[in-house]
Amino acid sequence: MSKTVLVELSDALADAAESAGKATVLVNARRRMPASGVAYAADLILTADHVIEREEDITVHLEHGTQVSAKVAGRDAGSDLALLKLESAAAHVAEVTKSPARLGQIALVLGRPSTNGIEASLGTVSAIGGPIQTGRGGMLEKYIRTDGISYPGFSGGPLVAADGTVLGVNTSGLANGAALTIPADVAWRIAETLAKHGRVKHGYLGIRSQAVEIPGNTQKALQRQQPSGLLVVSVEKDSPASKGGLMVGDILVSVSGVPVFHHDELFTRLNDDVAGKSEPIEILRGGQLQTLNVLIGER
Amino acid sequence: MNFNGTFTQVIHELVEQVMPSLVIVRGHRFGAGAGIVWDANGLILTNNHVVGKRAPIVVLQNDGEYESRLLARDPDVDLALLSIEATHLTPLRPASVSPRVGELVFAFGHPWGQRNTVTRGIVSALAFAQNRHGDTLPIVRSDVPLAPGNSGGPLVNAYGQVVGINAMIVGGDQSVSIAVSVANDFVNKVLVKKETESHSRQHTPADVI
Repeated sequence: MSKTVLVELSDALADAAESAGKATVLVNARRRMPASGVAYAADLILTADHVIEREEDITVHLEHGTQVSAKVAGRDAGSDLALLKLESAAAHVAEVTKSPARLGQIALVLGRPSTNGIEASLGTVSAIGGPIQTGRGGMLEKYIRTDGISYPGFSGGPLVAADGTVLGVNTSGLANGAALTIPADVAWRIAETLAKHGRVKHGYLGIRSQAVEIPGNTQKALQRQQPSGLLVVSVEKDSPASKGGLMVGDILVSVSGVPVFHHDELFTRLNDDVAGKSEPIEILRGGQLQTLNVLIGER
Repeated sequence: MNFNGTFTQVIHELVEQVMPSLVIVRGHRFGAGAGIVWDANGLILTNNHVVGKRAPIVVLQNDGEYESRLLARDPDVDLALLSIEATHLTPLRPASVSPRVGELVFAFGHPWGQRNTVTRGIVSALAFAQNRHGDTLPIVRSDVPLAPGNSGGPLVNAYGQVVGINAMIVGGDQSVSIAVSVANDFVNKVLVKKETESHSRQHTPADVI
């Protein structure tokens, strides 16, 4: 029988489901519905934080039904990601995409919600966006949305490209139950932090601020096009901001050399990388640009 | 490669290949479903739940309407085999291998009465359903959005071979088709029984009408 392009596409999709399916596991850490996970390392499973409802008696089912006990190695409620440590290093490690998701590309939503095997639905990448504030009090710098169906128990499973590589981790825990995908580069970076520290540190300044327009004449002092910054309206006593010399009335315009226009960007900048470190913060004070070195707090 | 042209052309050819085998199965009182031409000499396969108390009318693609004979029905596998007085029909071929999760599938039927509709998806899962006796029935789940009127129609693969008989819409988004292996077994059993009966002139068993 002749292999038409349709057959070739069909075979490629089934191959992709099969190869990524090997790295897609069942996570048993809540009472009713099991969830899914994806193997970050042979002994580490990345899954959604909200599906971990107990820290004791967690089991993971691997590709051929092998059941392995697991412990929580780290979790980050803000990004809805958790890392599980397997008792034995038996998982088939997922292959991560080298090229990030593109709008319109076809993708498989994969999960292992039962011991019967892998499950999948087909969709296209319908939006790529971010940063957004998650429904769990965190900040996601980037997200992917697809029109594929996330069946019950799919949270924690991978979004898979037609070549079988992982584009991201799916979860219904970030946007009021709607499915969202955490892009692989973001998810893997968080997983790395969770593997090292067990949690994701969040930077902390201790200011309240309001986004304000930067007037044209002041923009000259900035020497760049930046329409808005953050007006400091209060500084907590003894906070990292206060110790670093930030004052009420300053307009914060950049952190670590990256311009900040709105709160979301400030929130994104105050991430795990800068927590506990001294970082340059640019401010406009009295119409003049100044740089303060602030030791970013950690919490 | 002229990907766009080739791809569209191939899908068109698949539809052209499968469509002649799609029929309407219409009850005498209400409702209609789909059916599949199973052999060239008038065997039509459909869902048991599409068939009412009397043998239904079968409408072919050329609009020819036929009174059917109900050869057999089995509520446990939700299948029924009809026969119509027609020859030189175009039957569909069943797939010889089990489908794979992720492969492309196309459902042919008449959802919500919309005649000759093709709907695309992939195989979501290979699963089992349980009948009232507790027996397990292999089913093909897909992300194809099936609707009433798809029942009894074929779920075909990229070759245009039958991988399932579209059966029912269960809660949630996953559609269910009865695995074609079940259909093969059902039809073969009926035909073998028919064969032995015609030789031995036995009385018709209860499950063969």
